[in-house]
Amino acid sequence: MSKGDRILDVRNIHMRFESKGVCVRAVTDVSFPVLEGETIGIVGESGCGKTTLGRCIVRAYEPSEGSVMYTAADGETLDFLKIDKQTMKKYRKEIQMIFQDPYSSLDPRMTVLDIIKEPIRANYPKMPKEEIEKKVMDIAARVGLNTAYLKRYPHAFSGGQRQRIGIARALVLNPRVIVCDEAVSALDVSIQAQVINLLHDLQQEFGLTYLFISHDLSVVEYISDKVGVMYLGKMVEFAPTRSLFSHPLHPYTESLLSAVPVADPTVKIERIPLEGEIPNPANPPSGCFFHTRCRFCREKCRQETPEYTEMEKDHFVACHFAQELKLRGFDYGEEPDEKQQAE
Amino acid sequence: MSGAKDDVILRMKDLKINIKVDEGILTVVRGVDMEIRRGETVGLVGESGCGKSLTSKAILGINDKKCKAEGQILFDAEGTGMVDLLSLKPRGKEIRAIRGKQISMIFQEPMVAFSPMYTIGNQINEATLLHITKDRKKAKEISLDVMKKVGIANAEKRYDQYPHEFSGGMLQRALIAMALVCSPKLLIADEPTTALDVTIQAQILELMKTLQKDFGMSILFITHDLGIVARMCDTVAVMYLGRIVECASAVEIYGNPMHPYTQGLLGSVHKIGTKGQKRLFSIDGTVPLALNLPKGCGFYERCSKRIDGVCNVHDPRLTDLGDGHRVACFACTGCPGKEGSVHE
Amino acid sequence: MALFKKKKATDESYYLASQWALMWRKLKKHKLARFSLAILSVLYVLSLFADFFAPYGLEEFSSVYKNTAPTRVYWQDEEGRLSRPYVYKLKKVNDRKTFTVVISEDTSQKYYVAFFVPGVEYRLLGFIPCSTHFYGLVNEDGVPDRSARLNIFGADSNGGCIYSRILFGGRVSLTIPFVAAAISFVLGILLGGLSGYFGGWVDNVIQRLIEVLSAIPSIPLWMALSAAIPPGIPVAAMYLYITIILSFIGWTGLARVVRGKFISLRNEDYVMAARLAGVSDFKIILKHMVPGFLSYLIVSLTLGIPGSILGETSMSYLGLGMKAPATSWGVLLKETEDLVSVAQCPWKMIPLIFVVITVLAFNFLGDGMRDAADPYK
Repeated sequence: MSKGDRILDVRNIHMRFESKGVCVRAVTDVSFPVLEGETIGIVGESGCGKTTLGRCIVRAYEPSEGSVMYTAADGETLDFLKIDKQTMKKYRKEIQMIFQDPYSSLDPRMTVLDIIKEPIRANYPKMPKEEIEKKVMDIAARVGLNTAYLKRYPHAFSGGQRQRIGIARALVLNPRVIVCDEAVSALDVSIQAQVINLLHDLQQEFGLTYLFISHDLSVVEYISDKVGVMYLGKMVEFAPTRSLFSHPLHPYTESLLSAVPVADPTVKIERIPLEGEIPNPANPPSGCFFHTRCRFCREKCRQETPEYTEMEKDHFVACHFAQELKLRGFDYGEEPDEKQQAE
Repeated sequence: MSGAKDDVILRMKDLKINIKVDEGILTVVRGVDMEIRRGETVGLVGESGCGKSLTSKAILGINDKKCKAEGQILFDAEGTGMVDLLSLKPRGKEIRAIRGKQISMIFQEPMVAFSPMYTIGNQINEATLLHITKDRKKAKEISLDVMKKVGIANAEKRYDQYPHEFSGGMLQRALIAMALVCSPKLLIADEPTTALDVTIQAQILELMKTLQKDFGMSILFITHDLGIVARMCDTVAVMYLGRIVECASAVEIYGNPMHPYTQGLLGSVHKIGTKGQKRLFSIDGTVPLALNLPKGCGFYERCSKRIDGVCNVHDPRLTDLGDGHRVACFACTGCPGKEGSVHE
Repeated sequence: MALFKKKKATDESYYLASQWALMWRKLKKHKLARFSLAILSVLYVLSLFADFFAPYGLEEFSSVYKNTAPTRVYWQDEEGRLSRPYVYKLKKVNDRKTFTVVISEDTSQKYYVAFFVPGVEYRLLGFIPCSTHFYGLVNEDGVPDRSARLNIFGADSNGGCIYSRILFGGRVSLTIPFVAAAISFVLGILLGGLSGYFGGWVDNVIQRLIEVLSAIPSIPLWMALSAAIPPGIPVAAMYLYITIILSFIGWTGLARVVRGKFISLRNEDYVMAARLAGVSDFKIILKHMVPGFLSYLIVSLTLGIPGSILGETSMSYLGLGMKAPATSWGVLLKETEDLVSVAQCPWKMIPLIFVVITVLAFNFLGDGMRDAADPYK
């Protein structure tokens, strides 16, 4: 397998949580392909199901429906969500996850050395001690941890360093896909930059594929090759980053982009305010989920659920009128031809 | 922002805040000088632990008992003229007349700012009854009026609802209504939108801007988000390790940052619309703990422009570079020896 | 603010401190807990070495001393000069006028208080033969004399030294809670763990069982259970039965704590991380979850100990638990059953003070431990 081949194919994932007779549809019919070596950004507001989706893909949750076709390192393609325990042992380590909260994601009762060691011990029980130790040292040094401090407990480290520990733990098994669930959201800006740069370098070095889940659009725009926008459990738009940010096809994406605060007081963006609040996912609106807040809402939107289609090459959208709406995105100030062509 | 000197409504002079901990005394705020003018929005930016929240709370005197504030916070109070807020008794009559009426505050977590036991209307009314009128009927009218102003639809119905019936964005609106009910001269907003989603955040920021014009108040906006500052503020003060390291107009700060820390901070934020795989700039290391700080500039260890023998020996002080752009850095202002650049 | 929580940065030992070391650090800061810990240590040492610290053995009675008040210790001799502390022997005197027997001091001979005096032979810690006692009486020649007695807390209805009996009674009263706790611990972890881990109907059954058990009033339950203990069994067996009866109720609260912690820890990010890394369920429970709630368990156990102490005391007091000649604090308090003996011999209430102090100390200690249980907050 080489860079650019399809490594993951997420197909029609549904996730429903039922409790006390109320069914909450956290994720509804999400599909997208992932190519090896690329970074897919998933954005959306809180409660849109992006975290649940990520957890379904790594199989931390068992989704209600759907499949994740995974092309393993040995070239075999199998449904990651349906493989049995024995096979799982072999492939589990290839898809790993980095968590949001650098505090709750590390067991405070284990030393950093033990935390990074644990995945190796679990997957390679026969590996000699020296080799494990060496591996841990290598990876710790690679993510920028001082190896002299590995005997310390997590409480001795700052948020940024803890996130590095979390990255080391995910990387120590040589995974191929890493789901980063809000991996930098809890960090301060200057530390955020350190971790983003680190993730970027690691991707170059190990040919990793990232699924980068975040609510921060600037970070996602920076790091991703393709971006998916979720709203109320559905993927409303999925496209290459530049295409999505310069000419969004879904009105929700447009509003989302216009709401991003840009760190430059001279940039004046006309905001497209989004009226109202996100509806309750236990009781979603009829038709297009977004119609209650959409400024282009028409009768059709209230009744029919829009199809998720490939409107342009690689640019998927779920909106009845995507083709007629002329929506605004960010002006990259270059390649005007391509932009006009697209519109 | 370009007003006369008299327009200053709040002036902090060498504000220091110490916290007693078991291991000694943490100097969390180490001498802050700052001014807020009438109708101006001042952004106080910094990373967690830089002391920005403590500074803002010191203005209202609502810091923890373990925190000891020194220095002066002069506020142009109605009727009495300039008073030093720190010299007032923390639970005295004078400060209570100012707190909530002339200076109010909105917090990061609207969920915890309201008591779940009382209706929203009740809680907004509390401030009205305390500071404006004793007449319950009139108070309700005023409260409803403010609720409408902050964009709470169906204010009459919402008035009798409990906090759990409100969404996060609505609660933040209600909190703003509560803060604005007495038309304060100064509004302190401590990370008011951090807990909210981007689209809701945009709504709230927009609302705050309109309300500022309507009420003619000044806002002290505390945040770590450089994007919000760029959108909201006239003047920006960048804080690092309990000090303001740079202070200038927003356009100046973003267009011409002088202090290496400000430069680093701005460099580490990616601006959408400039796609190109250039690396993000990142500041090495982490913020040191404000306990037993070494001599010299607090940023010395992490600074790319440090001058050995100067920055680790002398303490830089905020120096005006002209046009009100003030910066505390020897690399920008020249080495000490020059008058007034050394902080003893 | 993060700064508040950070400790001193330079202290390397703090960085290397495990959970228990951190908890200990925090506990040490709780003054009341530290003080309680000291008191409890003293009590336990006294009971453990009761043979040594008690001047008299359990079988040493003296009919002359029946129901007598604490022995009076003199500091001055007849001329009023300061002297070595001494006591007088008690003797029975026939009152010629009333024809009653009166107990009075025999001032003909002084018995001096001395330390490390030989007395009844015993085996220290059960195996070291020894006869030295912490204190005792010697006659004017310096020879140990056991005809006179020094009962610092007075004597009971058999003429036994209450102080000595408190120390020996402490052996039972202070250890029963621990044995009971150990049994509760096993039952609680097992049933609570099953309940929390499996959920579903297993959880339902165990939860209902707990509810039923905690709905039964404890004293009737004790009465019912102790009625099942055959009479006339040896003291050791009795001891065991009592603890089992006590722990029968104790485990329910613990099981609930375990279940709650299990459920909350199951959703921790680090548990999910371990699962994603391919760590087996069993190992996750053992390495991440059990250490996670162990400290909470110990806290709730500590807070449960006063209940067991009071339980044993009240059972024995009611005559359902230990019975004389076995000694426990409850048995000692049984002597205060009737108003007359309380009115005439108020010193018989002294064991109660020990019960109260112990219960309070455990409560304060538990309080401090609760604050220290999560050092990462």
